[in-house]
Amino acid sequence: MERPIAYDKLAREDRFVRKRAREIGEMRIEQGLPPMADLASRESIRERVHGILVGELQAMEGAGRTVCDFPDAPWEFTLDMARQVWDESRHVEVYLGLIDHLGGYVGEFPESTILWRCACAEDAAARVAGVNRGLEGLACDVFNQLVHIARKIGDPIIERAVDFVLADEITHVRMGSKWLNELTKGDPERRRRAIEFQETIDERFNLGGVRLDGDHEEVAISIAKEARRLAGFTDEEIERLIRSTQRSPVY
Amino acid sequence: MSAHPLAGDFSVEASAQRVRHYRYAEERLMRTLGGWIALTPELPVKLLFGRHVWDCAQHADLWGRRLPELRSPAQQSEPANERFVRFMDLLDAREGRGESPQRVVGVYRVLKPHLVATYERHLAAANPLYEPPTRRILERCIAEERRHVAAGAAVLERLLRDDDSRARAATWERRLYEALAEAGGVTGESPTPPLAVDVAGVDPADDLVALDSVFDAGVIATDLRAEVDAHARALVEDDLPALAGQIAESARVTVLATYEDLGPAGRCDVVAQARVGAHRFVGARRSAPSPRRSVPEGARRQPR
Ligand SMILES: [Fe+2]
Ligand SMILES: [Fe+2]
Repeated sequence: MERPIAYDKLAREDRFVRKRAREIGEMRIEQGLPPMADLASRESIRERVHGILVGELQAMEGAGRTVCDFPDAPWEFTLDMARQVWDESRHVEVYLGLIDHLGGYVGEFPESTILWRCACAEDAAARVAGVNRGLEGLACDVFNQLVHIARKIGDPIIERAVDFVLADEITHVRMGSKWLNELTKGDPERRRRAIEFQETIDERFNLGGVRLDGDHEEVAISIAKEARRLAGFTDEEIERLIRSTQRSPVY
Repeated sequence: MSAHPLAGDFSVEASAQRVRHYRYAEERLMRTLGGWIALTPELPVKLLFGRHVWDCAQHADLWGRRLPELRSPAQQSEPANERFVRFMDLLDAREGRGESPQRVVGVYRVLKPHLVATYERHLAAANPLYEPPTRRILERCIAEERRHVAAGAAVLERLLRDDDSRARAATWERRLYEALAEAGGVTGESPTPPLAVDVAGVDPADDLVALDSVFDAGVIATDLRAEVDAHARALVEDDLPALAGQIAESARVTVLATYEDLGPAGRCDVVAQARVGAHRFVGARRSAPSPRRSVPEGARRQPR
């Protein structure tokens, strides 16, 4: 099999419509909508949940590629990635169920492949830093907030299901921290590049002021400090992330 | 094997060697399935592979951890011979779009049934007094691989919808089986490698996700649907004046030129609708020769 594969080989059924994230954001802004669906109504929650569904698909596909692309990596690393593939496949199933629960359908909103592109880094250490710490960290923020909102609007189905997914994501971040350290042991340059890659991802997914340190009901994506601590981010890393959200360019 | 309870078919060394062969197959299959997930469009197939990557990883891990107990280094994979490597290369190389049936056939009609049958034979021969650690792993692998085979059969049934695709799948299955036979199977010892495809009584429900989930064109609003249908009809009838009238002026020249390049359409089916605020993107698939693409902007806008 070809290793690694090109970005544009990501395969989808016909019912998925693919658009660039920037194009989707611009179309929303043109119509007076926020660049990304908020959690203010059941309909916008449905749109957010659909975005998470395609994110989970890409997370599964990315972890699968990592299992495939690095046959010389330590066996325990591959084992963790294989476990993650299974977890993400169940997350897809959970979010398929939630889309149904919210009265939506698969393909209702366009898919952008921005997460998948991050999962195509050529170095395994950069991949775990970027995907497991950057993107799964973002997932912790998004899911933690969704659990809170679900509790507030009295939807125990969303609350319980997403809370279990959040528990898995925290585990995935921990795996990322562990393997970032293990894979770069004795190679500070490789470590520096991997962390730099993670930081570009963190920066990109601040989404120009969409992700902030703020109350669940007041900001579009609220940084989940407690979940991030549980996942193994240091206080200093969390502070650095918060500072980076304050200097992100407007979308 | 003699009837004595302490008689055995396999020496410690031969057992370790078999275990390394099994580990090679499970590990390679894990990597193949992992790599294929992104390349496979159909949701149920994608998710089937996603589920089974972890099972294969655990099988490889169990075999790998058994090795030091057999005076052999842990976590080592070893193919039975070069021909088994070629068999795996052949199976793994079906990575093109549209090759999902071949991928499923290779794994769920050939390799996994062969592993089940080989594990079953091994279990029947493994000594119950001094080989229970191996027997436990065999029992677990057999149960899980049988479930995989059953799930693969359910998915394959939906992938192979016409005689043509069934014939192609059968040809591929024969070719792979021949390669497996040349290798002597996973152990290198079976000129006619056994296959266990009978999965009667096995419930694969836990491995099947979104099996019958498809796009429902009923989600498209009635007035937009009428416009889309008219456009599809004009495409099939190659009705240029109608097409020109349906396309926004700003895009007309480009879109008509594209249609001309593609030639006449045999069929045109609506396959997707996504929205961004009040915008609608409707996806349509033309029958050969063109791949699917979106209906142009002018035909797909409508207020919320
Ligand atoms: Fe996930
Ligand atoms: Fe995850």
